[in-house]
Amino acid sequence: MRIRWRKWNTVIHRDLGYICFGLTVIYAISGLAVNHIADWNPSYRIERLTTTMQLQEGLSAADLVPSILQGLDETGKYKNSFQPDPNTLKIFVEGNTLTVNLKTGLIDQEKVTKRPGLFEVNFLHLNHPKKMWTIFADLYAIALLLLAITGLFILPGKKGIKGRGAWLTTLGVLLPIFFVWLYG
Amino acid sequence: MKKIVFLSLILVLLCVGQVAAKSRTYGKGIQLTEVTKISTILDNPESYEGKRVKVAGMVVGVCASRGCWIYLTSDRPYEKIQVKVTDGEIVFPMSASGHQAQVEGVVDVMNLTLEQMTNYERHLAEERGEAFDPATVKGPGKLVRIIGLGAEIEE
Repeated sequence: MRIRWRKWNTVIHRDLGYICFGLTVIYAISGLAVNHIADWNPSYRIERLTTTMQLQEGLSAADLVPSILQGLDETGKYKNSFQPDPNTLKIFVEGNTLTVNLKTGLIDQEKVTKRPGLFEVNFLHLNHPKKMWTIFADLYAIALLLLAITGLFILPGKKGIKGRGAWLTTLGVLLPIFFVWLYG
Repeated sequence: MKKIVFLSLILVLLCVGQVAAKSRTYGKGIQLTEVTKISTILDNPESYEGKRVKVAGMVVGVCASRGCWIYLTSDRPYEKIQVKVTDGEIVFPMSASGHQAQVEGVVDVMNLTLEQMTNYERHLAEERGEAFDPATVKGPGKLVRIIGLGAEIEE
């Protein structure tokens, strides 16, 4: 009877482990990326360029847009433009935002591209899709909980939860408690 | 005749579907029908404080690190308002810049000291990934923003 119980425990742990592999990789990669959000943008690559251009005189800010885009060889789809103040023009192009100083001709470009792969894993990890993904992610969390519990009882004997496993599990529980005590 | 009516109905539904597909809903979406002008809110922020409003404008700035705020243009030139959302609850994509948006939320008014304003501007610059110069802060002031609950942004 005891052997059968452990066998089912191992089967659940093994098969859940297989099922959870993909999602665990996604959450782990995104976790590493998002953990360092203060140092970098984990979802977007932002490139900033500064150039100067001789702007055509006598034209309104809106009328300057085509010549500026042409002059910069910017072929992205034009979205809109806006003047935050009388001397500045912001031009929005697909993947690029240009800030033009109408007095000096100084142009700051902010080119934004998604980080391939990372954008998608962060999209899922941070639950941007909401809707059905929320339920799926909840199921994954429950599966992880089951993996953790069944993992405790894989091995019998001294290397299991009654021996070495108990010490290591206690260490794993104490470590986060220590950090809460240290920084909490 | 029935066929024509049926086909026309399908065509209309398809067209409606196309229009609807061109905007994306965030958070709780939009429930209010009446649009409040951003300029009116900025002229009399205290009378709108705590009130739920629907505003409309062009997205001219997005939080690059978390997508947790956007700036919307006002109906008056050279003016904009910040829409702040709870981190993770709504995430605005960088691609929203330059698109028209409708936002529903609660007007929030904060009177900031010079130090608070400097910290606030520094935080915004960090989220934009830009260098911050404290000298650009003009002084203590009133910060009027909208705590966003839902939005619809054209795509």
